[in-house]
Amino acid sequence: MGALNIKDVTKSFGETDVLKGINIDIADGEFLILVGPSGCGKSTLMNIIAGLEHETSGDLDLEGESLSGRSPRDRDIAMVFQSYALYPTMNVARNISFGLEMRKVAKTEREKIVKEVSELLQIDHLLDRKPSQLSGGQRQRVAMGRALARSPKVFLFDEPLSNLDAKLRVEMRTEIKKLHKRLGTTIVYVTHDQIEAMTLANRIAVMKDGIIQQLGTPDEIYNDPANQFVAGFMGSPPMNFITAPVVDGQVVVDSEGQSFALSLPCDDSIREHAGEQVILGLRPEMITERKPVTEETWIHHLPMRFEVIEPMGADTMATGAWNGCDVHARLSPRAGKAAADGVFEVQVNTALAVAFDPNNGERIR
Amino acid sequence: MTSRAPINWGRWFIYATLLLFLLVYLTPLYVMLTTSFKDIEEIRSGNLMALPDSPTLAAWVKAWSSACTGSECEGLAPFFWNSVNIVVPAVIISTIIGALNGYVLAKWRFRGSDLLFGALLFGCFIPFQVILLPMARLLATLGLANTVSGLVLVHVIYGLAFTTLFFRNFYVSVPDELVKAAQLDGAGFFSIFRHVFLPLSLPIFTVTLIWQFTQIWNDFLFGVVYSGSGTQPITVALNNLVNTSVGGKEYNVDMAAALIAALPTLLVYVVAGKYFIRGLTAGSVKG
Amino acid sequence: MNWLEKMLPKLVLAPTTVAMIVCMYGFMIWTGALSMTRSRMLPQWEFVGFDQYVRLFQNPRWEVALNNLWIFGFLFIAISLVLGLVLAILLDQKIRGEGFIRTVYLYPMAISFIVTGTAWKWIMNPGLGLEKLMRDFGFETFEFRWLVDQEMAIYTIVIAAVWQSSGFVMAMFLAGLRGVDDSLIKASQIDGASAWQAYWHVILPILRPVFFSAVMILAHIAIKSFDLVQALTAGGPGYASDLPANFMYTYAFNRAQMGVGAASAVIMLFGVLAILVPYLYSELRSQRK
Repeated sequence: MGALNIKDVTKSFGETDVLKGINIDIADGEFLILVGPSGCGKSTLMNIIAGLEHETSGDLDLEGESLSGRSPRDRDIAMVFQSYALYPTMNVARNISFGLEMRKVAKTEREKIVKEVSELLQIDHLLDRKPSQLSGGQRQRVAMGRALARSPKVFLFDEPLSNLDAKLRVEMRTEIKKLHKRLGTTIVYVTHDQIEAMTLANRIAVMKDGIIQQLGTPDEIYNDPANQFVAGFMGSPPMNFITAPVVDGQVVVDSEGQSFALSLPCDDSIREHAGEQVILGLRPEMITERKPVTEETWIHHLPMRFEVIEPMGADTMATGAWNGCDVHARLSPRAGKAAADGVFEVQVNTALAVAFDPNNGERIR
Repeated sequence: MTSRAPINWGRWFIYATLLLFLLVYLTPLYVMLTTSFKDIEEIRSGNLMALPDSPTLAAWVKAWSSACTGSECEGLAPFFWNSVNIVVPAVIISTIIGALNGYVLAKWRFRGSDLLFGALLFGCFIPFQVILLPMARLLATLGLANTVSGLVLVHVIYGLAFTTLFFRNFYVSVPDELVKAAQLDGAGFFSIFRHVFLPLSLPIFTVTLIWQFTQIWNDFLFGVVYSGSGTQPITVALNNLVNTSVGGKEYNVDMAAALIAALPTLLVYVVAGKYFIRGLTAGSVKG
Repeated sequence: MNWLEKMLPKLVLAPTTVAMIVCMYGFMIWTGALSMTRSRMLPQWEFVGFDQYVRLFQNPRWEVALNNLWIFGFLFIAISLVLGLVLAILLDQKIRGEGFIRTVYLYPMAISFIVTGTAWKWIMNPGLGLEKLMRDFGFETFEFRWLVDQEMAIYTIVIAAVWQSSGFVMAMFLAGLRGVDDSLIKASQIDGASAWQAYWHVILPILRPVFFSAVMILAHIAIKSFDLVQALTAGGPGYASDLPANFMYTYAFNRAQMGVGAASAVIMLFGVLAILVPYLYSELRSQRK
């Protein structure tokens, strides 16, 4: 129903290329998230999908029909804005039904839809209020209601939660996820918050400098990053990057004066980099205190001295160094206390460790 | 603001100075009022500050209906209505066009639109002396010389820069996303103006209307150049009245006439002064 | 449909654009061209180069008008600035009734210059105005005949103009003062500055942009001053208190000397540009920084 195909879309503003060839095939009902640092082009891409800006070249298809040249009103796409963009002089009911009003939908029909939508979003008691009389969360719902009222084929969300406080953000995230489950409409969602990306998406498109760095499921993005940028961008706290030499076909790290060779799943390719440096990528949760394991293949033990210990409640983040690079480990609170004095033995699990070519950041597979 | 320590000259000195200037600003008004209620004998024998012995409205009546403004002696009344006939259409038309212009310049910018705005603004500053002569020719060509309609046209044309400025600055502060949302909702150029911008424009309409009303009602230059006898606005008539001394100067009539001319804009100021001030500082204070 | 929607913004601006091109820039050029012709009562397109300008600057009345503009302009701007600033600083001291006081200070701007001129003409009336008032108060030999004094007439215009416009300058400075961050004052007080010093060293420098805006606007008013002169002195006695705008009107419309009138208008334009262009330039420069 709402399958959206983005084909080779580019966008330039004069000399600057903001989008350099975007290709994404979004399946009907999919929840796709565009994530990336500011300036990566994600908002521009959204505007192009909505028809608010024109692509410089390339095409967009909705259910097989080309969208190019179609004005925003003819695209059957609804958008929820970061600042909600509610009409300040209209009450909630009219805000929701304005799009229907513009499309000359009959009054009785409009009222029916407003009732349905507002009940769904639990704002039916607010219909007479103006936006200035609503809280942030309520405004958010009205903005969603406005989008829902049009029963579009695609929903676009442009950083809808970034103006909310942390607690509200978590609540609304769950609401959006429930809504998607219930309605099954295709959603394209922009955020710079990777936790949102990981929890909400069917697939994530990580963007940087106008190019899609990787398009995949949250699991793929997290555990199988295509390059160093994606690996470092997704995940909080971020992945550790350690520059390490390849000696005798293996990556070697120095900690507390001793050298340790770490076995990696990509060791076959590592051998080809003999005598060079590679960048080892290891997530903090792979570096822990000694724990019982089922399989020994990828387990290593190293001594570490930690400079900074940060108790975070459920775990403790500890920062030390290998090869002179900062390394963050995730320890249990008890281990964290023990790690405070002197040298501590960590357990390193390299089953999901990755390596990158230092010249171009590409993944060594 | 609450924590700024006042200068310690003694509050009394500050209040005294402020009071002094209150008097300075109010004195001319006081003088005009008292003089207008006196009769000529009293004026010649008394002085500026004296209150009228037996206040009379005679001067006012004369100023309104029978004072001489050049060769006619119909008082200011016909010219008062001339001004009304000039001001009302000119204010309305220049405000509406300014609103649409401001809307375009704020939210529908295109290549060259900023340049256009700059050129328009620049035109605000030129001394009108450089357009007086050619405009006279234009009005003559259009058959509008010495007519009320001609003056309306002139005031509309030269008021556009300010009205556009006011609305553009106001609309710029409306979030762009509102326009995008409305576009997605299916509204077009005029629909968005009508349903989204117009409802929130009351403050700026008020400022603009008051500003334009004051400017055009008080204008003299265009009035004196482009009107003929019978179509003159009240400012021109006032000046004629004061400078026509048929049978000796009647200062009380002069003052009454001046007050009549000043009344509309003064009234607007008293009632809606803060909007006027907003208009004054709208484009001029850089911030 | 789409094409129309795209063109709509431009179509809306079109009438204003045409009006601007014709009635501002076109007319300016027309006047400039006229100033180089022989025109007297009607435009005569016989070009005589800068003859009219030569005649203009040899005209004693124009010389007086220009001179007056300098005197008037300088005094008007200086006094209005000082007065406006002082009043603004005083009003900034958390005064009770501030709103009322501000309203009174500003009302003169709501009335026409003609009304102002008429009122002050009466106040400064040689026999019955200020002079008589002071004499009635006991100053037997007080004289105030500036209105009919060739040397002093121009100063009467300064008085009336300052009365009318200083309230506006005060409003500008007051708005500027209100925009100054309180923490700056506190910081200077912690640094040991007295209120005086705080004002002089910290606040006034911040108000520089307001100064410039005020000077610009006042200069603009000064150059365009026409109404006030007509009402207060009619340029008199004789032409002792003439200003360029009055000169232009007299020569272009009353004396059927369009060429000279046009030339004087062009000079006025250049006067405005001479102030405006450097100001705009420095504004743009500082914005780019």
